[in-house]
Amino acid sequence: MRIFFLIAFFIGYPLSLGFAQDVSKNYCISCHDDQWQDLKNSIHGKQGITCEKCHGGDSTQKDKELAKAPSTGYVGVPDKNQIVQICGTCHSNVEAMNFYGIRTDQLARYKTSMHGKKLFNDNDKNVPVCSDCHGYHDVVDVTDPTSPVYPLNVPKTCNRCHGNEKLMKPYGIQMDMFAKYKDSVHGKALFEKKDIGVATCVSCHGSHGALPPGVKQVADACGKCHMNEKDNFLKSPHAKLIDQGNFPQCVACHSNHGIQPVAVTLYDQACVKCHQPQTVAFKEGQKIKGLLSKAQQDLQTTQQIVKQASIDGLFVEEETAILEEAKTKVFEMGPMQHTLSYTNVAELAKQVDTKTKDVQNTIHEKRQSLQMRKIALWPLWIFIIIMMTVLCIRYKQLSSNHDKKH
Amino acid sequence: MIKKTIGAWFEKRFDVKAIQEPLEYQLRKPLPGHISWFHTLGSMSLFLFASQIVTGILLLIYYRPTADEAFESVKFIMTKPYMGWLFRQIHAWGANLMILIVFLHMLRTFITGSFKKPRELTWMIGVGLFILTLIFGFTGYLLPWNQLAYWATTVGTEIAGAVPLIGEPMKLFMRGGPVVGGETLSRFFVIHVIILPWLVFFLVAVHLFLVRFQGMSTMDPVDKEKPVKKGEGIPFFPHHIVKEGVVFFFVLGVLITLSIMLPFELGEKADPLKTPDGIKPEWYFMSMYQVIKYFPKLVGIFVVGLAPMLLLIWPFMDKSSQRVPSKRPVSMLVGVLTILSLLIFGILGTLSETKQTFFGKTYDFDIYGVPHLINNSPVKANIEHH
Repeated sequence: MRIFFLIAFFIGYPLSLGFAQDVSKNYCISCHDDQWQDLKNSIHGKQGITCEKCHGGDSTQKDKELAKAPSTGYVGVPDKNQIVQICGTCHSNVEAMNFYGIRTDQLARYKTSMHGKKLFNDNDKNVPVCSDCHGYHDVVDVTDPTSPVYPLNVPKTCNRCHGNEKLMKPYGIQMDMFAKYKDSVHGKALFEKKDIGVATCVSCHGSHGALPPGVKQVADACGKCHMNEKDNFLKSPHAKLIDQGNFPQCVACHSNHGIQPVAVTLYDQACVKCHQPQTVAFKEGQKIKGLLSKAQQDLQTTQQIVKQASIDGLFVEEETAILEEAKTKVFEMGPMQHTLSYTNVAELAKQVDTKTKDVQNTIHEKRQSLQMRKIALWPLWIFIIIMMTVLCIRYKQLSSNHDKKH
Repeated sequence: MIKKTIGAWFEKRFDVKAIQEPLEYQLRKPLPGHISWFHTLGSMSLFLFASQIVTGILLLIYYRPTADEAFESVKFIMTKPYMGWLFRQIHAWGANLMILIVFLHMLRTFITGSFKKPRELTWMIGVGLFILTLIFGFTGYLLPWNQLAYWATTVGTEIAGAVPLIGEPMKLFMRGGPVVGGETLSRFFVIHVIILPWLVFFLVAVHLFLVRFQGMSTMDPVDKEKPVKKGEGIPFFPHHIVKEGVVFFFVLGVLITLSIMLPFELGEKADPLKTPDGIKPEWYFMSMYQVIKYFPKLVGIFVVGLAPMLLLIWPFMDKSSQRVPSKRPVSMLVGVLTILSLLIFGILGTLSETKQTFFGKTYDFDIYGVPHLINNSPVKANIEHH
């Protein structure tokens, strides 16, 4: 009985919202079969949401005139404004969306976005609306890899417009973002490693509320993922420049769409953009660079030593564990350098130095111990040869005496 | 003064003379004149057995016989306790040397015909001791619980399982379950550290008693042995003992040198889900392992099982009364052929399933040890592929 109620609830609840329709009485399909093929496999089709929910009209009427009569609320092909409103009818309805666990602020967010503002304030029909990103009749779940808004597909979807020169030219928006992104550390992780956790366009710019991050929000956008870097950056001397509104924060050193893997050489390339090489600030940066380089070099050298020791048959489990700790400290130096505090970075560098030296010394001691074992064979064999000689002489004496006697 | 006091203390309580006289007799009992350096091999086997007992006890202090802890405990022994590494290496090399020296001791006995009447029983106990030494090696090999040990034991117990009728229950008994696991380790541990040492101890005691009681064999024909008279031959003490001392120091040096220069690596921990390539037994089982491959399973096991049986009953098969090797050509031929077959099959077993380069040419040795020249020419390789 309980199962019956459960089934009745799950089937009945969406039906009660008026989503489900009896397809056998839907006469739109008789002419619009191609759209129906798309719709029936879509996320909406599977929930029984059919034609009139978006297009209005009366699908139960066989007669085309009656089906599209004004009294039926027939919309036909909705324009961009209508699309946003039609989608928003359900998707901003908390009662309806709660069942699916979908948030309902998309329409509100869209209205705050650059796209939404252009549409609603300037009546600019070039901007994308819901269907431009999610699809029309064939909308699938955002977690479906075939969805245009699945993380792996987001950059390509955005690039459909943002890579279109004709479309972007009037707005003065650069069009090389996709190419830069594709070649960036994020793009390579997404396209080559298929890492869907990596930052795509929407991670920084938002999705429905898409806006370019302003100068003051750059650290916030990057800081969504790079939290430690952000926290440390806010402690740095550069953080004071944020309020002045003319310092592009993370972008100043790392750029934006084309971010490349970070190396210590960035101190040579990025600092000079603002600081003269003779300045104290530049020199401070070079000192930090020195700490980072040394720590990385020490780690690499020690890793090689441990690896070789392992190949040579030494037990290196403990050293490997200490090396992991040193590696963690080197990783910590990455975010810590954003404080631009020599003292903070030096504290970590000191720990790396101590740990790597410890490991190197232990391995050296182990090798020396092995060497000592081999050296110890010399006195051992000297003792053995002396003993053997003494016993041999004694044996000869005994044999000689024995022979003389008998 | 102290010696006298202690002597007096014992004399008041025991009939010391009654004990002293036979001991004195045994100590001064002359050995036959032909006794050579090779006659020290028996004592060296005993020395190595004692060394195994001592180092084994030291290893037992830290060794843990469970599947979870065995490997780690051996690693601990090799890295932490003072000289732990040395005791483990001496134990491992000692096992190998013991097998070799026991074998050489048997070979000497075979060549000098010492196994013949009236010493058949001494020989049979010796064969038993040799087999037990091999079982010592087999059970001890598993104890470090590393990959090689695990899979060699899997193969070894599988071979035992193929014996008709008793094979399957024997395999189950050895493994303590359908596969080699923690139960097998427990069983092998008990066999290795309790059953075998005591068994070997008592058999050695009987073996030594018989050797001393019947005396060392002379080179005289069977039933024509003349007892070595007092004043003839070589006194056991101090002459022979000094000789054994020389060999003892040499074996000790070799044992420690091997332990330091060629240490046994522990390798990777046993992983029942990861079968390594080319699993092979230790060198002392290699020839048997290779022989099995050339015959159908049951025939192979029969052939391999025949060898220890023949060894055991050899004194009753070699009926000639002569002990001098030159007067026993058939026996010597059998001996030479046996040694050669052990060497050849051992080498074939070692080479099988490996790639070896000789004179710049690489050969792929199949499971039978037959070499196949690997064609390095890409064109020819391509043609062959098609």
